[in-house]
Amino acid sequence: MKVRVEESVCQGHTLCALAAPEVFALRDEDGHAYVIVDQLSPNLEVQARKAAAGCPERAILIDE
Amino acid sequence: MADSKQMPDNRVVVDFNQHTPEYRAEFPQVGHAIREACPVAWSPNNGGYWVVTGHDQLTELAKRHDLVSNHRDSDGTKPGYDGISIPSREGAYAGFLEMDPPELLDYRKVLNPFLSPAAVKMWAPLIEDVNRACIDDVIESGRVDFVDDIANITPAVLTMAMLGLPLADWVVYCEPAHAQVYTPPTSPDFERVIQGSMAMAARLAECVAEIRVDPKPGMIKALVDAEFSGRRLPDEGIIGTCALLIGGGFDTTTSLLAASLDWLDTRPAERQRLLHEEGLIDTATEEFVRYFTPAQGGGRTITQDCEVAGFEFKQLDRVFLSYALCNHDPAVFPDPDEILLDRWPNRHAAFGMGVHRCIGSNLARMGFKIMLTQILERMPDYRIQGDGVVQYESIGVINGYQHVPATFTPGRRLGAGVEEALVDWQGRIDVGEVWS
Repeated sequence: MKVRVEESVCQGHTLCALAAPEVFALRDEDGHAYVIVDQLSPNLEVQARKAAAGCPERAILIDE
Repeated sequence: MADSKQMPDNRVVVDFNQHTPEYRAEFPQVGHAIREACPVAWSPNNGGYWVVTGHDQLTELAKRHDLVSNHRDSDGTKPGYDGISIPSREGAYAGFLEMDPPELLDYRKVLNPFLSPAAVKMWAPLIEDVNRACIDDVIESGRVDFVDDIANITPAVLTMAMLGLPLADWVVYCEPAHAQVYTPPTSPDFERVIQGSMAMAARLAECVAEIRVDPKPGMIKALVDAEFSGRRLPDEGIIGTCALLIGGGFDTTTSLLAASLDWLDTRPAERQRLLHEEGLIDTATEEFVRYFTPAQGGGRTITQDCEVAGFEFKQLDRVFLSYALCNHDPAVFPDPDEILLDRWPNRHAAFGMGVHRCIGSNLARMGFKIMLTQILERMPDYRIQGDGVVQYESIGVINGYQHVPATFTPGRRLGAGVEEALVDWQGRIDVGEVWS
């Protein structure tokens, strides 16, 4: 499974970093999210899915 | 109903007005009735406008800033573009919240670095200390008005600090900033309130001029200094932005805190959970923001005949994106009228959606958590005096309170009061200790 943030859609709601702090970080300049891990362990996959479900803008894309 | 296309000639007409006492008494129920009729319905009130109560429809509309405009015509070049207020109004211009991209993006680029999750952390010590001082001023008496004594003060002082204005001036802006959102447009007092809002803008214009001469660090200085390929931001935009940041900074976190304390009044077990369950304050903050939706929604103008989210709109139609009513849409939030402190997912629209996402959201969250935690720790047995609670007369702009009096078992002071704390922080700011 791969996870990414669609940069043009993210508006910096920051909820992904709340749900999955080990998968997403927030940019210093505007709080928009980016992915900080290459390989997702099963535990991080759960976190990432939780974040995707909670993104108000639907900016988190998961490729199975 | 939600999937059917509504042509203008068979639009679903509803009797909706977000400024009425009926709306104030039970806005979620008002929303359910309208959403069931149609998630994008037409109200003939306030000059006629679409009211959006469906979360999916709102999300789609908010993303289409090319078709759904925030612009306010301040110079007669775009008649019919009435900005974010419904009904349209005179008074202070709401800065970049009444602009569209690309103009809007210049302002956000300047201000985002002050308001990102990383940047706002530098203000935690000021928030903690000023809020501590607010509590100390009342802790020995056993009586507090959560709005007048705490929630009005801490966010306002913080806003002054971040703008680069004298901290003591929070008092000058406090009454006009709150009155301009809680006075319904039909009130006999509305004209006076608009005058107050204009006077505030005039004072801010003087402050901006002073900062050009004596450049104190802060968001005003950053706006004044900003340059985009040799082009400066216009004064009108800077002054409107200051008014916006004061309105947004003063009134929203205040309202959220007052509403949350009111809800927690009869729930001692929830107070304990918030203090002791790890991470609960984070999801609870999102849930309080969703449930109460301090900034209830925003007006927009349709830029051309178009179809969005399955609905047809005509050029210059006015639209009210109701964040509050969409936040109670049962299709997205199971049991929408219950507060579930650990609710997840919680894709609420309380900070807006799309390019206008509340620029102060990170500051709001942090400030709210600090203020709430301190109150729950130091006034653990508070009880609100119900007959003294005064809700805003209109909650159509901000879902807030003017007064929330309470009693509690008196406690011990921890330090100086607000007056002394502000002198102390002003001193630290003036010698350059605070801005990093």
